[in-house]
Amino acid sequence: MRALIIVVMLFSILNVSAQQVRNFKLKDIENNTQSFTQLKGSKLTVIDFWATWCKPCVKAIPELNKIYEAYKIKGVEFIGVSCDGPRSVSKVAPLSKTLQIKYPILLDINSEIKSELNLNAFPTLVIVNSNNKIVWVHEGFVSGDQKLVIEEIEKLLK
Amino acid sequence: MTKIVKNSICLVVIVLASFNVFGQFNGTNLVEYQFGEAPNDVNAISSIYDRFVANFNYKSFRSDVTLEQFYSEYDGSNYTNISQFSVQYNSDKIQVKLGNFYETIGRGTLLHSFQIPGAILEDLSYRSRHYFNRDILGASVKFQSNNFMTKVLYGSPLNYVFPPNQNSNLRRSDTIAALYSEYTYKNQTLGAAIMHHSNSGNEKLFSMITLSGSISPKISYYTEVSKNIKNNSINDFSDAASYAIYSGVNISLNNIGISAEYKNYNNFLIGSGINEPPALVKEHTYRLLNRSTHVPQPLNESGYQLEAFYTMPNLSVLTLNHTKAINKFGQKFTFNEYFLEYDFMLKDKHDIKLFIDYAEDPFKLEENRISTGLYSEWKAGKNSTIRTDYEFQHFDRLNEGNVNQVLSVGYAYKSKIIGSIVAEHSTDNYLVNSGSKYWLGANLKYKLNNKHSFQLFAGERRGGPACNAGVCYEVLDFKGVELRVTSRF
Repeated sequence: MRALIIVVMLFSILNVSAQQVRNFKLKDIENNTQSFTQLKGSKLTVIDFWATWCKPCVKAIPELNKIYEAYKIKGVEFIGVSCDGPRSVSKVAPLSKTLQIKYPILLDINSEIKSELNLNAFPTLVIVNSNNKIVWVHEGFVSGDQKLVIEEIEKLLK
Repeated sequence: MTKIVKNSICLVVIVLASFNVFGQFNGTNLVEYQFGEAPNDVNAISSIYDRFVANFNYKSFRSDVTLEQFYSEYDGSNYTNISQFSVQYNSDKIQVKLGNFYETIGRGTLLHSFQIPGAILEDLSYRSRHYFNRDILGASVKFQSNNFMTKVLYGSPLNYVFPPNQNSNLRRSDTIAALYSEYTYKNQTLGAAIMHHSNSGNEKLFSMITLSGSISPKISYYTEVSKNIKNNSINDFSDAASYAIYSGVNISLNNIGISAEYKNYNNFLIGSGINEPPALVKEHTYRLLNRSTHVPQPLNESGYQLEAFYTMPNLSVLTLNHTKAINKFGQKFTFNEYFLEYDFMLKDKHDIKLFIDYAEDPFKLEENRISTGLYSEWKAGKNSTIRTDYEFQHFDRLNEGNVNQVLSVGYAYKSKIIGSIVAEHSTDNYLVNSGSKYWLGANLKYKLNNKHSFQLFAGERRGGPACNAGVCYEVLDFKGVELRVTSRF
């Protein structure tokens, strides 16, 4: 028990270097293989880890669409990574199209990229800089969070 | 904790921390403290669960280690365990994994491994808690180019029913060796797999063929056929044969999206349950419907699922779903569900969701099950929202009417502070002999920053079946206090 408490305390206060996103490859909803390098923004890349069965994820999408439209000319690209497993992956394409998502949607049926980045919630928004380093992570989505995303993008673009 | 385990942990931590000079060292920690009662407990007991995950990245190499610990007043359920350790090499075309990894073949008819984020599993038999995942211990190699992908894997999938303090042979009784390849030409992908499976001396050989692609930007499809080919001929789809057929088509017409899927599974439970054919049953996020879900039976199930989405110009979304699942176990059981949901904004700022669901579930003896609910998020000021959710369910079982209700009232200040009070009521005759049962609990989440968050629960929480990220499991009732601290570093 003592060892457990020490380990917990140690790692709760640790603050180590930023995590990096590797050049992963996944299929998009059109059945094309896409790589992170092909899709990343020249300045920033916002990756949205979502799933069709997650209500806050679906709620966030129209807001993310708006932010993407406003910032794509400033070197900010968006990538949607659907973590729907075999049970619900068939719904990703029709839902994405009906929601008119403007940015590419990739299918991570094994949640491999999400696990690699140690993400534990849906939705999770990750902002990656031009050196592929994760500079911001935001879990969940409630009304008003779109302002936080915009503020963070603005701050990182400066 | 044994000396060997203690030394191993120290060594791993020191080595990884020292390598931080050259590469990157990251991780997460989840700790959950509980003081309370599970079903059948006479007194409240305290327990603590911790899951520490560390990753080290150096150029194309990556190493992961997961340390799980659980301590409670029951000595027999306590453990400290390095539950995952892996080394990976990733390049643009090749990926090599050694140790614990996740891999799914096709849509999971042959093999499905997963990790349910944030879910901690507890079983009444073992009274131990552990993270909910099914990984594979072994090795895999994957080659991927733009049009061609092939992967070879060998290992033992985890049977998550057994906690880490149980014998590793019991936890990993299945062994698989599999090869999967796919080739894509003009947006059409043809895939094939072969998998050898052994468990307690029983050996089986499975094959799988998939065909998927886009016919046009508006229409895409997926088909997967898997068979046991050791004991049956490849074209035998009789009642005695072992096979799984899954097929789906997606149609997108401007604001309308349609998904239609078909399943036919027969004698297709592999080993201790390492496969998970697509359920084709809607995974609801509404509490009562999630708990009432139909769990697919790979031993014998056929059916279909139709779902349609319509997004209106004002971004309101209408969702319709119809599911049918037929099981033949001596007699025929037919599960039917019709679901309608309307999600819209009121005065451009309040988010409202309305749903109604009708189902017949003969497995649970539920007839004429009607569920309905209203979820509302009321914008209150610049950064605050008030949430009110209500769900009602009625069904007949053994000529008696049964009612379930949930009422939740919550408040959120940005994503910083989220609190709610949840009350549940049930007259379900499987839970109460007569009269009613009530549950009342409060949740509070405080996000200190993007790296640390705290979640507190106090009161009584209703258990039962739960489905999360496509996987269903049993959650125990709980009465007491629970604190969860999540950290990223």
